[in-house]
Amino acid sequence: MSDIDIKRISYLAKLKLPHEKEEFYANSLKDIIKWVDNLKMIDTSETEPLHNVTEKTVSIRKDEIKKSNSVDDVLSNAPERAQNFFKVPKVVE
Amino acid sequence: MSNNWEMVIGLEVHAQLNTSSKLFSSSPNQFGSEPNENVNFIDSGMPGMLPVMNFACIEMAIKTGFALNFNINKYSVFERKNYFYPDLPQGYQISQFEFPILTEGFINIDNEGNQKKIRIERAHLEQDAGKSIHDIDPKFSFIDLNRVGTPLLEIVSYPDLSSAEEVVSYMSSLRQVLMYIDVCDGNMQEGSLRADVNLSVRKKGGELGTRCEIKNLNSFKFIRQAIEYEFKRQIDVIESGGKIEQNTMLFDTSTGETRAMRSKEFSHDYRYFPDPDLLPVNLTQNQIDKVKTSVGELPQAKLDKFIKDYNVDKDIAKIITVEKQNAILFEKMISETDVKPKFIAAWLVGDIFAFIKENNLEVSSLNEKTKEITDLLKLVSDDVISNKAGKEILPKVLNGQGKPSDIVKELGLEQVSDSGELEKIIDEALIGEEENISKFQGGSDRVLGYFVGKCLKATKGKGNPKLINKILLRRLKK
Repeated sequence: MSDIDIKRISYLAKLKLPHEKEEFYANSLKDIIKWVDNLKMIDTSETEPLHNVTEKTVSIRKDEIKKSNSVDDVLSNAPERAQNFFKVPKVVE
Repeated sequence: MSNNWEMVIGLEVHAQLNTSSKLFSSSPNQFGSEPNENVNFIDSGMPGMLPVMNFACIEMAIKTGFALNFNINKYSVFERKNYFYPDLPQGYQISQFEFPILTEGFINIDNEGNQKKIRIERAHLEQDAGKSIHDIDPKFSFIDLNRVGTPLLEIVSYPDLSSAEEVVSYMSSLRQVLMYIDVCDGNMQEGSLRADVNLSVRKKGGELGTRCEIKNLNSFKFIRQAIEYEFKRQIDVIESGGKIEQNTMLFDTSTGETRAMRSKEFSHDYRYFPDPDLLPVNLTQNQIDKVKTSVGELPQAKLDKFIKDYNVDKDIAKIITVEKQNAILFEKMISETDVKPKFIAAWLVGDIFAFIKENNLEVSSLNEKTKEITDLLKLVSDDVISNKAGKEILPKVLNGQGKPSDIVKELGLEQVSDSGELEKIIDEALIGEEENISKFQGGSDRVLGYFVGKCLKATKGKGNPKLINKILLRRLKK
């Protein structure tokens, strides 16, 4: 099993991790992966990958417009809004 | 800078599909609405909302597959591409990764007469993201999610392109095809079609270099500028002893320069996995075949037809086939008259397009007026009126000021094509011209022009020049 890069994982998950907790979380992630790795005991060399457990095809709909809500509904959970925009901390590349 | 460098370019083109509703939700797929007007709870990533596939998007992908010579895969899978950004409320983009709907296509491009086949690795369906607006407030970004979930077809070429001109030619050929088959409106300014350019440099014929990706270019001008700048930049770095780092670049449209996006602490890791909310796509042969009939005639086929069957000059045929609506207008006119297509084509790209441009019209707006136009062109080609008179009347006809024949009568522009009448005029014009006549008979062709002019003047410009010419020649040769 490869080592856990806990800094990278918290970065990708956008979670702030206090330095002193790093080892604790790295270890518990390791335990989880070790448990999932039990699956490796099964020989799947002859098995085709399966993308979904049902063998049906994707559900489709017609290309029709339906409006089910207002702008206010959509913005009602926004932490902050400005006119009809969501207002978020500055993110610039 | 030594000039034995060459550039190697691959393009990722994002084409917004012109469906009515979005890829996985029934919100309107529409540009220019009020902020967050076209957003429902699926688009805004509310918990528990489930995506449902818009089959029109699949059909458009299949159509593109036929038009660009792709393998159309019956089996394709939607996956989640995970990353955080405020204009992506789901926290992942639904895209196709390992099993795209289209693989191994190609398009032939024509770069100033040179044909080149550009191979296309794949094309897949995915969701567009929303828009962040950074320049309203110094401390905050404003988010408009209208574009979230707009269906995109991402078309990924092989690195077969080797100049800015080729890239522009490839991009405009793609745009032309997508517009012909009516899957994308091709409006680059509104972002309906945009390109990421992957560019590396190498010594001619040498090993491939490290590539940089310039993101999100939405005009031919910017594509050209960005490529030229990035080409020089990479050569400068290498020639001054540096190494190219694989970077994602932004193109600054105000300075014409590329710059690396703020370097990431960690490299991207999108952790793709099949979206459990969407079952794999399993197409039947019947579903694929059904789309085939709707592909229609492609630009190259139209071009060939105009040149071979209609005898139109290549350059003029090219202008007409650039946009589908030009070709539709042209073919409608041909079908309604016995005037030669070549003659119609010359008028179309000349005075008719000039009128459209001057009045800021859509080409398609003339589809209603083809009868009047061809009636007018018939009068010109039958020598009922002169070419000059035709040009004069055309704007009046296009402005709906009456039937061509009525306008001709009203303005008295009808040519005198009665040979009896013309012979009389010519007889009069030749009186006292013995000297010039013998000059002509002595071999001075210039005199003919003088006589034609004199006769035309006598008819107040309404005499049919061709007929005058003919009668004059007969008289003078006696």
